[in-house]
Amino acid sequence: MKRFDLIVIGTGLAGLTAARTAIGMGAKVLIVGRGMGALTLFGNTVDLLGEIPPETEMAEGITHWIAAHPEHPYARTGWEGIESAVAAFRELFPPPYPFAAPGRGNSLLPTGAGTMRPTWLTPITMAAGAAMTPAETLIVGFRGFKDFQGDTVSLHLKCRGVILPLPRYGLEGLTAPALARLMDETSFRERLGESIRQQMAGERFIGLPAILGLRDPAAVLKTLETITGARVFEIPMLPPSIPGTRIFHRFREELIAKGATFRMGHPVSGAIIKDGRCEGINIDNPPLVAEYRADRFILATGRFMGGGLWAEMDRIIEPVFDIPVFQPGERGNWFGERFFDPEAHPIHRAGVVTDADLRPVDAAGRVVLANVRAAGSILAHHQAIEEKSREGIDIATGFLAAKRALAS
Amino acid sequence: MDLQTEVVIIGGGATGTGIARDLALRGIPSLLVEKGDFTSGASGRNQGLLHSGGRYAVNDPDAARECITENRILRRIAPHCIEPTDGLFVSLPEDGPEYRADFIRACGAAGIDTLPLSPREALSMEPRLNPRIIGAVQVPDGAIDPFTLVVENARDAESRGARMLIHTEVTDLIRDGLRIAGVRVRDRITAEAFAIAATWVINATGAWANHILRMAGLQIGLALSKGSMLITNTRLSERVLNRCHPPSSGDIIVPNDTVSILGTTSLRAEDPEHYEVTPEEVTFLVDELSRMIPDLKGERFTRAYAGVRPLLQLEETGDDRSISRGFALIDHGSCSGPAGLVTITGGKLMTYRLMAEKTVDFICERMGLHVPCSTHVQRLPGAGQGHTLKDRLLRLRRQTPSAKGEILCDCELVPREAVDAILREGKVRELQDILHRTRLAKGTCQGGFCVYRLLGLLNERHKADHRGGSNLILKAFLEERWKGIRPVLWGTSLKEEELIESIYKGLFNLTPAEPGRPGGGEA
Amino acid sequence: MTKEEKPGPLTKLPDVCVRCATCMTACPVSRVTPRFPGPKQAGPGAQRFRSAAEASVDDWIELCTGCRLCDTVCPAGVPISEMNMMAKAKYLDERGRTFRDWLLVRSDLFGEMAARYSKIVNPLMKKKAVRWLLDALLRIDRRRALPAYEYPTFRRWFRTRQAPEGGGPEVAYFYGCFTNTNETDVGKAAVEIMEAHGLTVVVPPQRCCGIPRLGVGDLHGAREMGRRNVDSLLKTVRGLDIVFSSTSCGLMLRHEYGPLLHLPGAEELALRLFDICEYLLRLREEGKPAATFQPIPMKAAYFAPCHLRSLDIGLPALELLRLVPGLDVSMIEAECCGLGGLYGFKKEKFAIAEEIGKDLAEAVARMKPDIILTDCEGCRMQIRHLTGLRVLHPVQLLRDALERRGTA
Repeated sequence: MKRFDLIVIGTGLAGLTAARTAIGMGAKVLIVGRGMGALTLFGNTVDLLGEIPPETEMAEGITHWIAAHPEHPYARTGWEGIESAVAAFRELFPPPYPFAAPGRGNSLLPTGAGTMRPTWLTPITMAAGAAMTPAETLIVGFRGFKDFQGDTVSLHLKCRGVILPLPRYGLEGLTAPALARLMDETSFRERLGESIRQQMAGERFIGLPAILGLRDPAAVLKTLETITGARVFEIPMLPPSIPGTRIFHRFREELIAKGATFRMGHPVSGAIIKDGRCEGINIDNPPLVAEYRADRFILATGRFMGGGLWAEMDRIIEPVFDIPVFQPGERGNWFGERFFDPEAHPIHRAGVVTDADLRPVDAAGRVVLANVRAAGSILAHHQAIEEKSREGIDIATGFLAAKRALAS
Repeated sequence: MDLQTEVVIIGGGATGTGIARDLALRGIPSLLVEKGDFTSGASGRNQGLLHSGGRYAVNDPDAARECITENRILRRIAPHCIEPTDGLFVSLPEDGPEYRADFIRACGAAGIDTLPLSPREALSMEPRLNPRIIGAVQVPDGAIDPFTLVVENARDAESRGARMLIHTEVTDLIRDGLRIAGVRVRDRITAEAFAIAATWVINATGAWANHILRMAGLQIGLALSKGSMLITNTRLSERVLNRCHPPSSGDIIVPNDTVSILGTTSLRAEDPEHYEVTPEEVTFLVDELSRMIPDLKGERFTRAYAGVRPLLQLEETGDDRSISRGFALIDHGSCSGPAGLVTITGGKLMTYRLMAEKTVDFICERMGLHVPCSTHVQRLPGAGQGHTLKDRLLRLRRQTPSAKGEILCDCELVPREAVDAILREGKVRELQDILHRTRLAKGTCQGGFCVYRLLGLLNERHKADHRGGSNLILKAFLEERWKGIRPVLWGTSLKEEELIESIYKGLFNLTPAEPGRPGGGEA
Repeated sequence: MTKEEKPGPLTKLPDVCVRCATCMTACPVSRVTPRFPGPKQAGPGAQRFRSAAEASVDDWIELCTGCRLCDTVCPAGVPISEMNMMAKAKYLDERGRTFRDWLLVRSDLFGEMAARYSKIVNPLMKKKAVRWLLDALLRIDRRRALPAYEYPTFRRWFRTRQAPEGGGPEVAYFYGCFTNTNETDVGKAAVEIMEAHGLTVVVPPQRCCGIPRLGVGDLHGAREMGRRNVDSLLKTVRGLDIVFSSTSCGLMLRHEYGPLLHLPGAEELALRLFDICEYLLRLREEGKPAATFQPIPMKAAYFAPCHLRSLDIGLPALELLRLVPGLDVSMIEAECCGLGGLYGFKKEKFAIAEEIGKDLAEAVARMKPDIILTDCEGCRMQIRHLTGLRVLHPVQLLRDALERRGTA
């Protein structure tokens, strides 16, 4: 049985952020995840709060917004908490693959459905998307690559679009990771760049699916921009997400290099609770159950998809600690009548309610476990999908939870 | 654009297309109008059960005999629409051995082959059955794909000269003195209105029969019964499972392609257009069918849906299950209505061909034609084509560059080529028409990934209706999908829903807002 | 099909997959070839189309290397690799296995003999004509160097050596076939490092763990091997801990004997099994007598084998290596070496194995290490083949740090 200063449960952005923050404070950290977390699905940019209009300065916008949303996780961190957490995130991505905010407020970036989507930080490979204009942009899709429909994007963005056959690999059914891997090859991306150049009619921007390499995206970007003479940008598409996988890999590399113990692939099957505190957790790796002890715990297991919450036919539970979950009534009330209801489905507000210190509380407001904190999307009273706040909540609360945990 | 034909058929379900095919085989020109796509009504919203007749053997021997006869005919003429799974009538302790004995006797009388099985035999065949069963009887039930069946009836009729207008709604009946002389219709997509002149108008609209008849000031006794069903992610059994007891609600499980369909409820409905599956019905079906398959509660359900059965109401009895599921052919001219108008309704998918045969026999008799029916021997055009799960699995084989293109629907293994072929035919008019003709979007994620890809393909071919862009179509699809998914959102299906919502509302920023509205996502 | 082989519970497994595609980012095979449809499709996707009663058609299932990385990333806990294994077993049970596969999985049987005559066998196996024949007749790719045999075998060395004055607590050692006949120094190093930690090493009778047979879907054969090992290990070392130095053997013994093969006694055995580095690290953490290491000023790159990731015990070798003064050790950021045990020796799969390995080779090239360390014999073979560098098991370097023998 191993003992740690802190055990982080969850390998999504919130858990990774918490673990990295704690490591930076000199703690001995174990991070455990049942699987890889949502970064590989939706991680592209860093959203803070999409509903702040682009013309509003972000600090001001969020500060006002928090005042009107006192139950929201951001009310726990405040703008300052968000700002310092995001700054720490940016330190992990130095040039040549930095994350930056193209404007003072939200920027609008094109998506794989040809819509525009508000976000805060973009990786360098997506930055030009915020500056593109329809008349000057060429959208490039690839024949047989089904998770990015170039014609849908160009049609909705009102740009010119081309669908190119892939050099060398005439085979259909190529996946995003396969394509990203090919892009890491200099000769492949040079040939691709050349075939794009031949299609150009004076465009200054080129939009491509977000597959510009896993290992060295900045180099891929540079090659393509040099050959085409245009600014190139990646467009987020159906999962899996290559940009999100880059973020995950970068965190994992950093955590391991700094001495964190990284476990992935098996669920936490139980917790050892004594006197209102968690003393340890069990990880189920059949036929074995491994026990790990620590002084503090951070629960960052995500929502339903990540397994942080589980819906039975009549109630919602939190499977690790059985922490009380705020839920909007019975099953019939969980979802609105229409998929696109003007209001977010009530179930999205469900989750773990905490005190100011991010410690889960029960319906009466009492702290459930004195040394357990919750971070990320498992928290109640946000609507990350609609608000476009997924990464902001993960980073800000993951950062805060680690700081508070180690201060205790 | 006014049209003329001998017979106008209203309704593109199994009965309507069956009539069109029968007429065509007997050389009578016809034109079918359907306000939605083929199978939009009860034909596309049933349990996909190829009845042996066993279910009716004890209570309604005539219906049982009809079923087994049609069962044998369908196996012959439409083998590609049928999975000959066989079925088990399973007796639980509460069902008792008496009904089982009656059942075997009644099946024998109706000409339905039975094979009594011991509990042990039945459990080895279907391991998920309740171990407490006291016996089972095997009968020649099966699964039927009503979509392919109906589309192929239509396709065959067309190839023999019949005409088909889908998304075309009848707005009025044309009167010529005491006769009905045709119909006025409106194209629901282009809004174009025109008339179709005909000697005969056949009302094959099932649950909508009175809707058409009202245009002639008529009405027949028809009760509408809503039946709700649940679809699982995988097959629960290899055979149809029925409870061996008097027909009731929540007592049949049909393996169908990659999934199983659980049914049904039976609730009185007022309107064939507007109804939903309630949470109570879902809970009822899960609870009730858990008696046959005890671990059903942990199962993953991907969708719920309901259909409305037209039940002929000969007298009020209160219980819809005791109302005859037989059919009626009504010549309105011979019962104080206008001549030239015939209604065929009631019945069930199993007897669609027989209903068509009787209807066309009647028309022929009135026309003085003596051409015998041949739909019981003429095979449907696609018969002989393989479509087993195994064949579909082979589509994943990519040893060499394939001409079939990428697989659009990963869950159901539908290749791009399958959609291309449908588009080449030029008959489909909207997204749902494509979905009706393939298994696209019928799998685990219910179209979450593949419909995006399908719209990309349509955009590429400039086949999408671009008024407002294909994202409006995408959003309409997601709304339609939602109706089926919302009732089963818990457990893994809820996780799936969070994924799909994260893609479309999160990643793609599709919003309820109309296009053009600031922040509405649509560029 | 015997009772224990019944795939009963598998029928429900595809249900927990939400088609999220996380596994697509981890699969080394689908990343390099579209011939393998990837874990999501080959596993839970295809499972919906399979029927126990029908003959298998999915020949591409053979392209799964059995690396199990998909399992480690899946956020839903879908046992993808097990599903693939069962499908592969069924497919090959129906089609029959080639003579080559029959032969290769029995290398343990002729290994002792080959080692005895290694002076004749080794040069013979390097002969072009012999390789050409093996290639043509058995489809064992002639471009893949066959491992040389060593004599005396580890077993013989251990039996005949002058055992040091012991007296410390006993521990059993599962060395694995490859250590016994092809890389005896790994075994010697393992023994020495354990003795340096005050342990007395015993070597119980043992046979091939059976994982090569799993690789060709031979569940029956694997179970046979397993049964004998469980019986022998439980009988002869009852009460002792057993350490293994091969992560693949270890994964098989610890996690496949029970959950997959349902061998009686497997669970009791699993409780006793430890990876050697995991075990040493634990002793040190528990404050037990520990060896001290002398400086080895060297730049080392550590690669975490797939089966180590699947064991999910963190990176104990890396933690131990960090204790060696002067050793500059960092992780190789690559997912899989590509060899897949016997997979990469097979002519029809050689190209896939090479292509997967390319990523690792490039990562190594960027790091420019003096030496590479990894816990799996397959990885060591492949990395030598790919890079030409010196590749050791971590215990070999740790042993060298004990003895100041100088590795440079």
